[in-house]
Amino acid sequence: MNRLLSTSLVAAASAALFAGCATPQATYVDPNSNRTLSNVGQINIQDWNMASEAMINSLIEKQVNAGKLKASGPDGKSILAISRIVNSTGAQIDTDMIVKKIRVALLGTGKVVADITAGLGGAEDPLAAEAKREQEFLSTKKVATRPDYTLSGKIIENRAAQGNLRESTYVFQMSLATSDGLAVWEEEKTISKQGKKSAVSW
Amino acid sequence: MKNIFPLVAAVIGLAGAGCNTVNTTETAQPSYQRNMVAEKRVITDSSLARKVQVLGVNATEGPGGFLKVQAELQNTTRSLHRFSYKWEWFDQSGNLLEGPTSVAITRQIEGKESMFISGIAPNPAAKDFRLKLYENAK
Repeated sequence: MNRLLSTSLVAAASAALFAGCATPQATYVDPNSNRTLSNVGQINIQDWNMASEAMINSLIEKQVNAGKLKASGPDGKSILAISRIVNSTGAQIDTDMIVKKIRVALLGTGKVVADITAGLGGAEDPLAAEAKREQEFLSTKKVATRPDYTLSGKIIENRAAQGNLRESTYVFQMSLATSDGLAVWEEEKTISKQGKKSAVSW
Repeated sequence: MKNIFPLVAAVIGLAGAGCNTVNTTETAQPSYQRNMVAEKRVITDSSLARKVQVLGVNATEGPGGFLKVQAELQNTTRSLHRFSYKWEWFDQSGNLLEGPTSVAITRQIEGKESMFISGIAPNPAAKDFRLKLYENAK
């Protein structure tokens, strides 16, 4: 009887111990919804979503839908290359959080292709760049090498505080330039967030 | 007795400061003509629907064949509200076209203010749309 009792106690204690060590269960949230976490002092998923949505809509409306794109790429598509996106915020951020979304959307329009062999600091895809060089060397056929457009930008941060209230403003600026160096499209999206000191991550 | 008037004015001023509404002025006969869309509304959040109402939706197609949709919203209350919206796009067969622009956009609307929100189709294959309005999660 005593043995049964002690075995049960050990089992219960082990279960309690393991339950205590278990990490809290994670809940999946839709990253495209308004249920993701956001705080002051950081660019959150919702901020990237809103900034890229504004940029994509503006680019499609003012350039793609307006039929203003110059196209020298395959099937009459414009060739886009990504230039420098300057991070002027205090945080270390990966600018692909916005650039990739813009590229995905532009490719999805069926009017633009991205050149991933051209880029500052080297090709994004070195193997594709090598294949392109080989093709140019072996073939007499001219390969479209010059991008029609380059996309550049800057992300700026501004912070303000009043009493217990903190405010972070992020300004997303983007420009599209032709191969002649002329900017044909520019857009700016400002996102401001306020929060009490306890909700601030800095 | 004379001193009561400044007091009443101060009380009225304070009461008014609690809910700032927006005064709007526009031309009586606008020169534009909107191509309004017949809509069907499914309302499950009557609380949000009471606060932020959709006054109308108009759509146009640009030279590139992309559908552009604009919706006019109005805050029917006297206080500020935050809400989110999302556009969904469908092709000719009714298939959902997903893309980086199908995301929840958070906006704020002042008391009695009317505002426009707009969306542009991700590609020329998009022939129909749906607008979703959410009460802000935060």
